[in-house]
Formats: sequence, C-alpha cells, structure tokens
Amino acid sequence: MSASAIASRTALEIYESGDAALRVVAQSGDAEADWATVHSLAGWLATAGIEGLHGAVPTYDSVLVEFDPYLTSARQVRAFVLLGMRQLDFTGTSLREPRRFEVPVVYGGEYGPDLGRVAEHQGLDVEDIIARHTAKTYVIRCLGAPAGSPMMDGPEFPVPVPRLKDPRLSVPAGAVSVAGRQAVIAPAAAPGGWCVIGQTPLSVLDVSREPLVPYVPGDQLRFYRIPEEDFGSFAGQFLKARP
Amino acid sequence: MTGSLVILQPGHSVVTDLGRTQGPAFGLPVNGALDQYSAKAANILAGNEENEPLLELTALDFRMRATTDLLIAVSGAPLDLTVGGRECPQWEPVSVRAGEVVAVRGIRTGLRAYIAVHGSFTVPRLLGSCAPDTVVGFGVKLVQGSELETRKTTAPITHPYFGLPLFRLGLTKPTFTTNPVIDVTDGPDVAEFGDTADLLFTTQYTVSPRSNHIGLRLGGALPERQLTSEVLSRGVPVGAIEVPSREELLVLHRGRGVTAGYPVMAVVTSRSLDLLAQARPGHTVTFRKTTVAEATATHRAACLELDRLRITIRTVFGLLGIGAGERWHELSPASGA
Repeated sequence: MSASAIASRTALEIYESGDAALRVVAQSGDAEADWATVHSLAGWLATAGIEGLHGAVPTYDSVLVEFDPYLTSARQVRAFVLLGMRQLDFTGTSLREPRRFEVPVVYGGEYGPDLGRVAEHQGLDVEDIIARHTAKTYVIRCLGAPAGSPMMDGPEFPVPVPRLKDPRLSVPAGAVSVAGRQAVIAPAAAPGGWCVIGQTPLSVLDVSREPLVPYVPGDQLRFYRIPEEDFGSFAGQFLKARP
Repeated sequence: MTGSLVILQPGHSVVTDLGRTQGPAFGLPVNGALDQYSAKAANILAGNEENEPLLELTALDFRMRATTDLLIAVSGAPLDLTVGGRECPQWEPVSVRAGEVVAVRGIRTGLRAYIAVHGSFTVPRLLGSCAPDTVVGFGVKLVQGSELETRKTTAPITHPYFGLPLFRLGLTKPTFTTNPVIDVTDGPDVAEFGDTADLLFTTQYTVSPRSNHIGLRLGGALPERQLTSEVLSRGVPVGAIEVPSREELLVLHRGRGVTAGYPVMAVVTSRSLDLLAQARPGHTVTFRKTTVAEATATHRAACLELDRLRITIRTVFGLLGIGAGERWHELSPASGA
C-alpha cells in the first residue's frame, strides 16, 4: 500500500493517486479539526508558489493535491505537504473570518418536488421540515460538483435522507437539496440524485467573475422562506455576502 | 496582422487548450484537450506555445475555410486531410492559402483530432483557460458560419514550381490501436476491493457508447467493494477508476466532477489517459499495473520528445522566417516601474 504515517503533530496519511495527484487525509479522529487541517493545508499550498502545482481540492477530511508530473513529482509534492503541515503545526489552522450569506427559498410545489417525500420519510410534517431547514446556520464545508456547489452539513433531521432511486437528468440552477446528512444549493443546472425541497431565485454562479461563486469553505449560510409570488422579484440578483 | 477562418462544417468540434488547471480548487473540472499529447504536438508543429487554444474534433468530419493565409498542423487519430483539394500530411505543418478549404474526413482507429493554427485564436478565457465547460455554460460554440480570429497570418510556404507542401519533417507519431493497453497505478482505496481488484488486470473491457469527456464506461468483469460504509465526498483525480454500479467500470476523464463519494480503485497514468481519449465505443481495453515512478518516467519521456520537436520546429521556422522563435520585437520594453 502507498499510505504512510507521517510524523507531525496532526495525524496525516498521504496516498498516491496516480502520477499527477496525491490524496492527503487528516486523521485526528475529530471531524472539525480534520476539516480545519485540510482546508488550511490547501490554503497554504495555494499560496506557497510551488512550481508545477496545479491546486488543491479540500473537502471534509481530505485534500486532493494535483500537479504536473513533468515539472514536479509525487515525491516532491509530498515533501511540500509535510513542510506545509509543519508550518501549520506552528501557526495553527486558523481560517479567515467567515462571511454570512442569506438565501431566500420557495419551498415545495414545483420548486421543491421532493419536499413531501422527505417529510414522509422523516416522519415529520412539511412545515416541520421547512422549520428545521431554516433554523440552522450552515457552514460551507467545501465546494463540490457541479460548478462549486456549497456543500454543507444538513439540517437537524431524525434520519439520513436517502437519494432518489432514479436521479433526475436535469435539476435547475438554484435548487435547494438535501441527501444523507448534507445540504446543498445547485449553482448550475445538472443531473442530480438529491432530494430537491425548494429553489432560490438568486443566481449563485456568475460566469463573468472569477471565482464564479461568491463563497469559500468556512463561510456561513442561512435559508429563509419566501412566498411563491415573491420568486420573480429576485430575478437577476446574485447571491452576495451580508455586509 | 490578424487572420481568420470560417467554420463550414463543424462536425463535433470545440476550441480548447490544455485545460483549466485552476478549476478544481473552485469546483470546476479541468476539462481541456482529452489527448494532451496530440494537442501539444499540434500546437508545437504550428509554431505555437503548447497550451494555446486549438480545435479539437471528435469523430465527425470537419471543414473550414481560411479567410487569410494560414499555417496549420493536424494531429491526433488517423484521418484524411485535404487543403484546397490537395491531400496533405498529418503531423506536419501545412500552408493554407486565403480562400482554401481545409477538410478533415474519416477520423478512424482513434476518436479525436486536433487542428492548431499558427498564431492561435483570440477567444475568451475563464480561470486562465478557454476550454469549454458545459455545466457552467462557458466556451466558444462552433456552428456553420462561425468565424475565428487568429493572431497571425502566414504567407504560403510551398515548393515554388509544383506547389507541393514543403514540410517533410518525418516526425514519429504515436501509434493508434483498437485495443490499447492502459497503464494504471493502485488507487488510494484499492484495499477496499480485496482480491477482486485483480479482475481489473485479467479482464478485457469493452468501451460503452455511453462514454464521453466526463468518463469512459467499460463493460466486463467488475471488481467488487468489500465494504459497505459510506464514503465522505472527496476530490477525485482525473483517471480515477471507480465501480459505481453493477454494470460498468467508470474511468473518469478530464470533464469529471471534482468531488465524489466512490472509492478510487486505480488511477490511469497521464500518458495512458491520452490513449483512452482515443478509444471508441466497441474498442477493447486491457489494464496493466505500473508504479507512480514508472508512470512519471514515461510521461517525462513523452514530454522530452515534444521538447525535441519544439527545437526542430523552431530551427526550421526560424530559417523560413516564421515567427516561432523568441519574438523579441513583440516584447514590451523593460520598465523600471
């Protein structure tokens, strides 16, 4: 096996992932600490100016580090990861001050076709699902597929939400979904197997600016309910951080 | 002087480059030319930097008309190339006179071909790349009548008496086959598949028609994950081999979603990803195990071959006065600011 334990204050494993990537997994046993570790490490790698390094994709407890195997190598990148970890041991894994986003949502009906199904599965009524979904301040854990979706730990539901047996071929942009113990907003139309409980009229994705989505992992997000007739009044507006 | 060309028959063509390497950190797939070696070679043969925008053709016939004199190079899968009705060689620089039609017909054995134009195209970029991203709706859409502006024109370079193509560089081109052998290294989760992981190396897989730039689906005996625990979403590399269903093996290519929750059993090497980019539905694929060190060496050998090609082209183009060398007069003057 390609894994190896690393002598650092933070338990870490580095796995080969082909000739152009490494998977680095934090293994402290504490999910919150692991998440902070992999995101801080990704931030360090992104700003370290390492030749041949394409970038780092941090998620929950792991970060995928991609590189050009002509300009550098798995061995060299591994050494940089260890250097980064030693620096983080020294400086701590402080992330930047979170920004807050507030997202209007029309729940149910054609905007959230799976709301009833989710309520039934949870043994709650529809209003209770909406109340729990809007009650929580979510932390954006990572950017996922498609198009930099904000992946968040889900609302306080009694049981995990099963995925759809037949994934939809296209879920519209703005769809607000839950699956397992996770919650997400779809920045762009794409196929999807998550349960869609609502839709926001705000545009999340702006292809004319870089980066394309306004949030970064660590930012906070809340949903609030709007009536169906207000959906159109948000047309053309982009999701923005609260001042 | 800027030049241009007009698409007459787009077939299935896109303007792309080597990919959006900054994309994955923002949740966007890298995308870009699926056969990176052929794309780099086309650009080098056309006297460009290897990462400049070029055309990627997939499977279907293609025609374009040069509005100005151009220098082009066509690489990738075997095909029939004509310029102004003349048969022209692939994997060589080719002069195109203003008004002439460039036609690509009969892409065979492989699936994808590349056309680079000296001076490349002026096209919009997102996070440093012009590669189309169908999910966010970015990229130049090529239809009949689309006009592409090139940064340069190149006066025709042909034999003065017979009009024959001048270039006969005789470069070695990669071989294309209908049953490629694909090198893979152990994935980070190979242990989760137990002994069934060995099936990958003893089975002949058939490429499914449901394959695309996101991933290839392969039919054959499938390794089986021995665990049932949930996997947290995590970044998956291009080339990752997963078993998401009981029907097919999935090999992720450059259009892959950046994160997923399936275990990664093996990862296709950079060099073999180019071969997979050329695999057509119905072709058979055999996997061979290698190490990261060996895969890196193979990749570097291919890059060195391209470096040698670049030196040859620079020498030839320099002698002919084609601006492939250091274009010192185009550089902005050094400034103390």
